[in-house]
Amino acid sequence: MISRLFQFFTVIFGVLVLTFLLIHLVPGDPVEVMLGESASMADREALREQLGLNQPLLTQFGGYLNKLAHGDLGRSIHTKTPIIELFKTRYPASVQLAFLSMLIGLLIGVPLGIYAALKAGRWQDIIVTVVSVRLSAMPAFWLGPMLMLVFAVWLGWLPVSGMSEPAAIILPALTLGFGLSAILTRMTRTSLLEVLNEDFIRTARAKGLSERDVIIRHALRAALLPIVTIVGLQMGSLLAGTVITETIFSWDGIGRLLVESIEKRDYPVTQACVLAVALSYVVINFITDMVYRLVDPRMRSGNS
Amino acid sequence: MLLAACGQEKQTNEIRFAITQAPLNLDPRYATDAASERVNRLIYQRLVEFDTTSKPTPSLATWRKISPIQYRFTLNNDIALFHHGKPLTSEDVKATYESLLALKDSPHAAEFRNINDINIVNQQTLDFKLTIADTHFPEKLIIGVLPKDLIEQQHDFTHKPVGNGLFEFVFWERELTLKRLSDGQVLMLAEVKDPTVRVLKLMRGETDLLQGDLPPELVKYLQKQPDLQVKTTQGTNFSYLGLNMQDLILKQLNVRQALAHAIDRKAIVNQVMVRDTRLAAVILPPEHYAGNAELKHIEYNPVLSKQLLQSAGIELPLKLIYKTSTDAQRVRLATILQAQMAQAGIALEIRSLDWGTFFAEVKQGNFQLYGLTWVGIETPEIYSKVFGSQFMPPNGFNRGRYIDAELDALLLKEDWPAVTARIHQQLPYIPLWYEGQVAVMQKNITDYAPQSDGNWDDLATIKRSATIRHDAH
Repeated sequence: MISRLFQFFTVIFGVLVLTFLLIHLVPGDPVEVMLGESASMADREALREQLGLNQPLLTQFGGYLNKLAHGDLGRSIHTKTPIIELFKTRYPASVQLAFLSMLIGLLIGVPLGIYAALKAGRWQDIIVTVVSVRLSAMPAFWLGPMLMLVFAVWLGWLPVSGMSEPAAIILPALTLGFGLSAILTRMTRTSLLEVLNEDFIRTARAKGLSERDVIIRHALRAALLPIVTIVGLQMGSLLAGTVITETIFSWDGIGRLLVESIEKRDYPVTQACVLAVALSYVVINFITDMVYRLVDPRMRSGNS
Repeated sequence: MLLAACGQEKQTNEIRFAITQAPLNLDPRYATDAASERVNRLIYQRLVEFDTTSKPTPSLATWRKISPIQYRFTLNNDIALFHHGKPLTSEDVKATYESLLALKDSPHAAEFRNINDINIVNQQTLDFKLTIADTHFPEKLIIGVLPKDLIEQQHDFTHKPVGNGLFEFVFWERELTLKRLSDGQVLMLAEVKDPTVRVLKLMRGETDLLQGDLPPELVKYLQKQPDLQVKTTQGTNFSYLGLNMQDLILKQLNVRQALAHAIDRKAIVNQVMVRDTRLAAVILPPEHYAGNAELKHIEYNPVLSKQLLQSAGIELPLKLIYKTSTDAQRVRLATILQAQMAQAGIALEIRSLDWGTFFAEVKQGNFQLYGLTWVGIETPEIYSKVFGSQFMPPNGFNRGRYIDAELDALLLKEDWPAVTARIHQQLPYIPLWYEGQVAVMQKNITDYAPQSDGNWDDLATIKRSATIRHDAH
């Protein structure tokens, strides 16, 4: 556990150093972004001094860490909004969307995967496989507008986009959830099929357990590890923001904020977003490791 | 049941406007993006406006030149109060421009560095004293006036603007809500980036109005919708191909002429641009007082184009790199240009870059050809800033690094017909078109039409004739 925590903080520090350096090494200049093309050299130098950009890199990094330690992520160059304020609305929006999408993905993907594994090689398996391949092949920029057309414009059940009403989350969550469900179906099926051929499953059946108990209590639990891995990785991606879906559905999440900040060369926002994304990945990986230990007793005893 | 409840339209009377890009900053001392400037025109008032020929006209004030370095501005008598109830006086004008000059991070401050002093004569009159004579000074005073008391309190105009314009700021989180003072009409502006989604929202009745940034095929589709109305108007925003005049090939006039003759503008305008798009000759349109209606459009002639290249000793195919943004319409135009230029023996390689990278490359002069549009240009100073040899980045917009002593002399004399003729003949830019403006709205929306530069000034008069309920189609 202590080594995990040590790794956690090492990664975070590495991300801090990298994001700070990257922002300072990429072509472009925050001063130019703020002042535009018609500012004089004197104006530029004055602003550079005001922002502390003329100080040595190490001093700037020290200042950056000091501000971070006080919860100050800086301000957006364009909107002058404190970044922490942006995060207060953007991050929860991404978290909500991520969790609902994952829930949809799990509710569709895992049962379908189990069903396909149990019917392996039969027509039901083929249908599930075809559907899941098709779903995973549908890009969000196509699936999203199609869902809008059907559920918003034709049926009038849901809003097209935006965040002005609670139901607005359903279509973006379905767009992401369908794609996830396809991956989870494939993973659950493959993983379960491998486990179903193991000796301990034969033993369970030989003991006279019902097929339901064999599948749920023995096979599925053993098959969970790869599924947990996929869920962890996908959750990380979702929390990092799903730019296309967020853009199509005007969902003000962290991914959209990141891409917009890159387009507008809003360096402090980009830096903070990259940090948030990295943190999300690290935290999710940490949680995934904890879940491994819950699922697999071998991990708890350190035998894996 | 829940879904059905969600689908019911709100029976409210606000007018919803889906915009491509949300405003970034509603403090006029900082705002540079088009959306912020368009909203600020509704919230604030400025000293000077422009007439239909783009000549400066009084808005909040009249002015007279006291000396080449002194202008006296007198505020009108019937000026509206600021939205927080205080009257607008010369003190507020002075405070606005002085605070702007004091801001180290304002992109507009450089424009006003020539102001030496601002003197209050009385509550309605003030003098601007300049360091260097500037005949165009009055037309630069287009910053919305802010109340002095709030400037002193360091009020957050960026997010909570207070002006004395026709609209009062109400709320801004995901949507920007404004209220028209004359009749209380509420207006909600929401960012919807994707054009298809904007159209779906209009069809669903989630929005009442769209303007600009719609592919022509979507506009054609919308024209057929019985519940919607489409309005277009001639535009003034100038689209062009920028050339790197330091490039050994492109600095040859024959090559630039060849490029100009290799583009079939009429075909592009007819096929892939919105209605009311017209061909352009120079940056400012013919109706502008510094435009030039005499200039002839460059004809499409790939044979002549090839001959010009051969006469310049260019081995065909001439390979050139064209940089553009990742915007779908821009990329589409690039591929059309590529196909047309191939007929003239020009092999155009398209490099589509994200906006930030693309614009940085253009400013750094790291290009051969690029495509961009000048938006909302009012003053003829643009010719100097874009083509004057003293205005190369970082001191101006001469991104092609064009040097022409004859043009510099004409620019100094402000001989606009000669300036525009010289630019048209030398082709430091290859002119394309002034893109038509389009607005699409619900049938019950009245008193709104798109403006030539894409501004949203007609929101001052927009009305909803009756509230209708939008059932699912």
